[in-house]
Amino acid sequence: MSDVKPSPDRRPRIVGFLCDWAVSSEGLVREDGTMRDLPSVTLIKVPCSGFIRPSWLEYALKNGADGAFVCGCPLGDCFNRLGNNLIADRVVQMRRRLERQKIQPDRVGTIFYGLHEQAEFVAAVREFSDRVAKLPAPPPPAPARKAPAAPATPAATGAPSPGGPSRPGPTEGGAGETPSGAPPGQGGS
Amino acid sequence: MYKRLLDRLLRWTLSLDVWINRIYPADFNPLYYTGGLSNLFLTVLVLSGIFLFLYYVPSFNDAYTSVQYITGAVPFGLNGVPYGQIIRGIHRYAADGFIIAILLHFFRNWFTERFRFSRDEPWISGMMLLVFAGFIGVNGYMLVWDQRAQLLVAMTGNTLAAIPIVGGALRSALFGGTGTTNLLLPRMLFLHVGPATALYVMLWWHYVRVRHPKVWPPAVWTLFSLGAVFLLSALIPAASQPLASTGAAPDRLAVDWFFLLPYVALKYVTPAWLVVLAVVIVVYGLYIPYQLPETPAAMGIRDSGIAQVVDANCTGCELCYFDCPYNAIVMVPSPHPGVTRAAQARKELAIVLESRCVECGICIGACPFEALELPGYLEEDIQGKVLDACRT
Repeated sequence: MSDVKPSPDRRPRIVGFLCDWAVSSEGLVREDGTMRDLPSVTLIKVPCSGFIRPSWLEYALKNGADGAFVCGCPLGDCFNRLGNNLIADRVVQMRRRLERQKIQPDRVGTIFYGLHEQAEFVAAVREFSDRVAKLPAPPPPAPARKAPAAPATPAATGAPSPGGPSRPGPTEGGAGETPSGAPPGQGGS
Repeated sequence: MYKRLLDRLLRWTLSLDVWINRIYPADFNPLYYTGGLSNLFLTVLVLSGIFLFLYYVPSFNDAYTSVQYITGAVPFGLNGVPYGQIIRGIHRYAADGFIIAILLHFFRNWFTERFRFSRDEPWISGMMLLVFAGFIGVNGYMLVWDQRAQLLVAMTGNTLAAIPIVGGALRSALFGGTGTTNLLLPRMLFLHVGPATALYVMLWWHYVRVRHPKVWPPAVWTLFSLGAVFLLSALIPAASQPLASTGAAPDRLAVDWFFLLPYVALKYVTPAWLVVLAVVIVVYGLYIPYQLPETPAAMGIRDSGIAQVVDANCTGCELCYFDCPYNAIVMVPSPHPGVTRAAQARKELAIVLESRCVECGICIGACPFEALELPGYLEEDIQGKVLDACRT
């Protein structure tokens, strides 16, 4: 792995799904949903951690996020019933799927904290963020539909991927200003 | 005011959880299994109760002696029922464990607001279970027919008689006449066993809207509770008080703090006030689920709307049916094939029962075919938010 770039200066971009009943987001997030302590982490509030489809985590990874996590109530104490156990199992299954796609499974994770454990939650997110930051950049994806600014890898056959949104290698060094300004393929709607 | 109190209690409950989770892994936190522990104790009670039932004689002359015979007390010694002392102890201490577990279950679910939305039925059936369990427990102390039993009968009678108009009739109905009649003990035996059977009917009601109820605690806690009950019954043998005298009832009560608390209260309040207090507590308990705003919109959290099945995509795979925490999804025979290829051969179709849906979205996470959506919070909305998050 020659392209191991810890890139200490660059905080990885992370999308987190936060259950309404788990850690209280009061005083934790800014207006736009980013965390006050970790501006590179964006929290999306959902009704229950069991609501998350693993495909949404994948969608985040494919659209330029370096990592994605789900935060639910402590295991065994879902406000509904077993929602957090369900998502925990699904993320475990998803990690295997990601491995097959040559994406480091550590880019997804689950965090379980209760309503008032904000400090612990922030620490856990920071740890997750640091872990993602240490991961080597994923191999360049299948060919992009449009020629990106960076030279495309000539490895693929040239057939543009029909449906899936292109993954414009988010961690390609500091110059990884990915073409995410143009909305990636909306194939997954 | 009430809301603020509830917030405070929730904070305490959760910090207790955090504290316990530091000692045990979260899967083994006993406070997550108070319902399962209650059920465990109830099972122990039923099994040991059947054993005791085989030997118990519900008559004034023989009740006390039959209990002494079970425990192998003084006149019987080794001629008593083998292991009877242990079984009686188990019955006594498991009853205490039962009421403790029920009360923990009650307070925990109250403070963590698990009476909300479509959980009013588990809550109300739980209140019924609590009242019945207390009633059965007090009955059990009367069956022994020692001095405490006599005192309990007298106190219960006085309390009931304090109810205006119907009090005397209630008392006669409960005890089979005024004073202590020959009907008393057979009636108490029936009222001990009959409602105990009714508990299981109420348990069915308690579970009917709950998917995957945690009916048993983890094996560790099962073994621990059983061990504790066995140990207690060996170390502190359950014993009767002296035989009830035919004269005046004794004036002192040997207290079991878990069941006989209302009778201790009689020392401080008049019977009429005790009745009022009991009625207020029970009625308020039944009212708890309806006190706070019910709908998500009124609560100020996201109003996602009832989950909707996308008919074209549903394959009838039953995954949402298995995962819905409130049994709000039923599978019906499919009236027509679906549209997508996976859905064309379906035999069943998922239907959401609107009255039970709490808009938690767990079915959305369960569905791999994108056949369920929350109308106020679609998959597109999520993807839009994810894209926004990736852009900033």
